[in-house]
Amino acid sequence: MSQRHSDHAQDHTDVPSDPALRVKALESLLVEKGLVDPAALEGLVDTYEHKVGPRNGAQVVARAWVDPAYKQRLLDDGTAAIAEFGFSGWQGEKLTVVENTPSVHNVIVCTLCSCYPWPVLGLPPTWYKSSAYRSRTVIDPRGVLSDLGLDLPDDVEVRVWDSNAASRYIVLPERPQGTESISEADLARLVTRDAMIGVAKVASPRVGGGA
Amino acid sequence: MNGIHDMGGMQGLGEIGYKENEPGFHEPWEVRVFALVQAMRSGGLRPYIERIPAADYLRMSYYERWYTALVTRLIESGIITRAEVKSGRADPASVKATPALTPAVARELLFRTPRTEQDIELTPRFHVGDRVRGRTIHPTTHTRMPRYTRGKTGVVERDRGVFNLPDSERVSAEPKPQHVYLIHFTAHELWGEEASAHDSLYIDMWEDYLEPA
Repeated sequence: MSQRHSDHAQDHTDVPSDPALRVKALESLLVEKGLVDPAALEGLVDTYEHKVGPRNGAQVVARAWVDPAYKQRLLDDGTAAIAEFGFSGWQGEKLTVVENTPSVHNVIVCTLCSCYPWPVLGLPPTWYKSSAYRSRTVIDPRGVLSDLGLDLPDDVEVRVWDSNAASRYIVLPERPQGTESISEADLARLVTRDAMIGVAKVASPRVGGGA
Repeated sequence: MNGIHDMGGMQGLGEIGYKENEPGFHEPWEVRVFALVQAMRSGGLRPYIERIPAADYLRMSYYERWYTALVTRLIESGIITRAEVKSGRADPASVKATPALTPAVARELLFRTPRTEQDIELTPRFHVGDRVRGRTIHPTTHTRMPRYTRGKTGVVERDRGVFNLPDSERVSAEPKPQHVYLIHFTAHELWGEEASAHDSLYIDMWEDYLEPA
């Protein structure tokens, strides 16, 4: 493994270079000092590994597709409409939902760090936090989307949302064709995290198979 | 700070590495760093992450930056010492603390949305529809104003309400609450004539980042 010392290498040159060992050492130090309650830590790990994730956002999207009144509430005040599902918590203070249409495509980025709507999408994937995605999405959104497999016609307006202040954003994707007779629960199963970031569209269900 | 973290508009930073359905955590230690930061109620790590020198920042993985920032913060706050980080053991002379977060409080906090919006009546300097320009400023410490917005003209799309200015340099002991506005910039304005004429960018900006245009 390459040297993974931090810039503060002078601060702890003797700590292991393997991040797993360094983190383990820090955790046991903080527990020994009485700063961290191990049970509270396990609760946090379990919640963010298993309980918070894009399935939450998918339920919100599916509801908006089948319930026009809900959709309007969602676009007017994302935080309140999302709280109707009980989804709330850190990074969820001001949630703004932006709607994709045949003429407008929205895509979310955080150029300064990794701002992301945890209560509805969970923690962000590595590519969202990559230097390339953060740097390029604002200057070349069409190029980024194309690299990720989404080619948009020239006449579609692309709106980039650089989320790094008060609000966190989520995209309301277009409802795919051929889903008129599908239940809300099944619609939710079609919705992907990447569509709610705005780097993909929601695919139509295939006959006899999933999305 | 005009640091490496302020990378909007840069080029040549490698591959996006896109994977469909990629999980938020890859290795078990990543979620543990994440949880340690929350258990220490140590949010607000951004200024510490931004102080990581550029070459190290780019070499580190995302959660290595979190680890580095957390350790730096805890040492600078006097909560732990360098010697303790090196040895992984508590200084026998140190006083045992009471955990900031108990399991019961953790469960409650997880789904309680923190509120940072300020219930303060302040007269907004700008209004929806106003043309504004990003000020040309170069704070040497933490700011949430990306470089690419400086000197660029946009339009106020929405008033987000009142929030404390996050800039380290401008905020010492006293919080500095002010309006935050959603600003609409055209891609042409930000990136020149070669950008698509249809495209645009939206970003929330604190009042101090803006001037009338």
